[in-house]
Amino acid sequence: MAGLLDKLLKIDRRWIFFFVALSVTVPILVPLGLPISTTSATQMAFDFVEALEPGDVVLLSFDYGPSSAPENDPMAEGFMRHCLSRDLRVVVCVLYPLGALGLANNVVARIGHEFPNKVYGTDYVNLGYKDGDRAVMRRLGDSIADAFPTDVNGRPIADLPIFHGVRSIRQVKVVFTAATGLIGEWWITLVHAQFGTPVIIGPTAVSAPKYYAYISSGQLAGMLGGMKGAAEYEQLIGKKYPVLGNYYKGTRLFTAVKGMDAQTAIHFVIIVFILIGNVAFFASRLRQGRS
Amino acid sequence: MSGLDLSFGKVALFLCFGLLPIAGFLLGLRAPSIRRQGPIILAFLAGIIPILSIYIPKRFLAHPEMGMSPRLDQYLIIVAGFALPLGIVNVIQNSSRKAIRRETGWPFAVVLLVGLFVMGSFGIYGAWTGEGIGFRVDGTSTPFKWMEENCFKPLQSTIFALLAFFMASAAFRAFRARNAEATILLVAGVLVMMGRVPLLEFIATPFPPLMPAAAAASQWLGKLTEWIMDVPNSAAQSGIIIGAALGAAAMAIRVILGIERSYLGLGKGD
Repeated sequence: MAGLLDKLLKIDRRWIFFFVALSVTVPILVPLGLPISTTSATQMAFDFVEALEPGDVVLLSFDYGPSSAPENDPMAEGFMRHCLSRDLRVVVCVLYPLGALGLANNVVARIGHEFPNKVYGTDYVNLGYKDGDRAVMRRLGDSIADAFPTDVNGRPIADLPIFHGVRSIRQVKVVFTAATGLIGEWWITLVHAQFGTPVIIGPTAVSAPKYYAYISSGQLAGMLGGMKGAAEYEQLIGKKYPVLGNYYKGTRLFTAVKGMDAQTAIHFVIIVFILIGNVAFFASRLRQGRS
Repeated sequence: MSGLDLSFGKVALFLCFGLLPIAGFLLGLRAPSIRRQGPIILAFLAGIIPILSIYIPKRFLAHPEMGMSPRLDQYLIIVAGFALPLGIVNVIQNSSRKAIRRETGWPFAVVLLVGLFVMGSFGIYGAWTGEGIGFRVDGTSTPFKWMEENCFKPLQSTIFALLAFFMASAAFRAFRARNAEATILLVAGVLVMMGRVPLLEFIATPFPPLMPAAAAASQWLGKLTEWIMDVPNSAAQSGIIIGAALGAAAMAIRVILGIERSYLGLGKGD
């Protein structure tokens, strides 16, 4: 028995790597379809968007790179699908320099294709990337055209019908930031605090705990925390809008709901290893105490 | 035909951030003490103008188009743009020196430089030809987009994905209940890990009769997790955020008043 515990404590880490790889790949190849409960933060975000009037302008900011795309992409896509389903006008911008523009272009093109009755420039627009994050946010408070004079294709935004009646971020009904790092927090501390525009955040799971404080203080209108939050949002919009529900059931593309199976399996593996490590640790301490 | 815009805010900004630095530079050529004072005065002005614009909502300070503070924000976007070429120059200098001197890890420096020049060249090519850096009109990828989709994105995703393996290994080795604090952390961590995912349903999958009990227990666990995140976590995070904000405000005041000079590369005695 003692020998087994010693072996467990000194287990070759390649075995851990093997089980991690197995727990990620198998559920992706063979989906389990595990149920996902809805947290209050995601429900708040969903309800907030549901309460907006058709024609209202929302801003979707891509503040993440390819490293966290499996978590953040489904959030941004879900939010954009939800808004276009509700006939809201969606303004997309990018403030993260490392590859976010490419992700935003792909998402806008894909979702634009899914909603053929929506017109680019009238129902949605992609403003592209602007360097200077916090300075850009401050500028948006005075004038969107000053921060982003043209869209991603170089067309002056003054020519785009989507901006009729919208001069600054103050006229935007909500900002959704799919964020990694600090940019998400700046939307709260700069744009919400100074201009009063409500903010919904979609952070990576590792950043999510910080934002619960902003929800408690009423500075966030909702949060999709990590892949779980994205999966909850996909379920909520799928239930409310049958077209989206059918899309999420039928698509062969990656969705957060599919990703949750893999995340559940890997949590299980990590918890099992933590338990094994602690049992072996206490047993060896007990043995040392006796000897 | 509109005349020359000589509003007070614009002229004052030109004096503060146009003439003053030039005058400081020229005078500093002969008097080193002025050379040190110039950036401190500039930092003071750049810091104090946005603060004043909040408390003194006068046209020359806070007007969205004419005011000094909104214009200063515009300057900031331009200055931030200049930080990118500065970074590129820095990378080229450091990496080329490393490669030429054959320092440890020099092949990585060569790969970095090749990546920088290849992506940069394709970006410049896209701007030069007017194709941009996304998809062409016919739906095909520009060279920049091709490199982004087939090299940059997979590489960045791969590096980040490796974290899962190291986190699992680190959790096994370090997450031990060695003392009371570590035990609290361990219990809370395991509960949140269990509550954030349908773990009990996952365990009950091979045993369908257990599924309703697993679902009920999972729901209770989810509520417990939400409470941990909403109450103890939120309280601790609030303290951290408020502390960090006060620290940032104190540091900003030190920079504005010229007490903190380390950003100039100057020590206390300089």
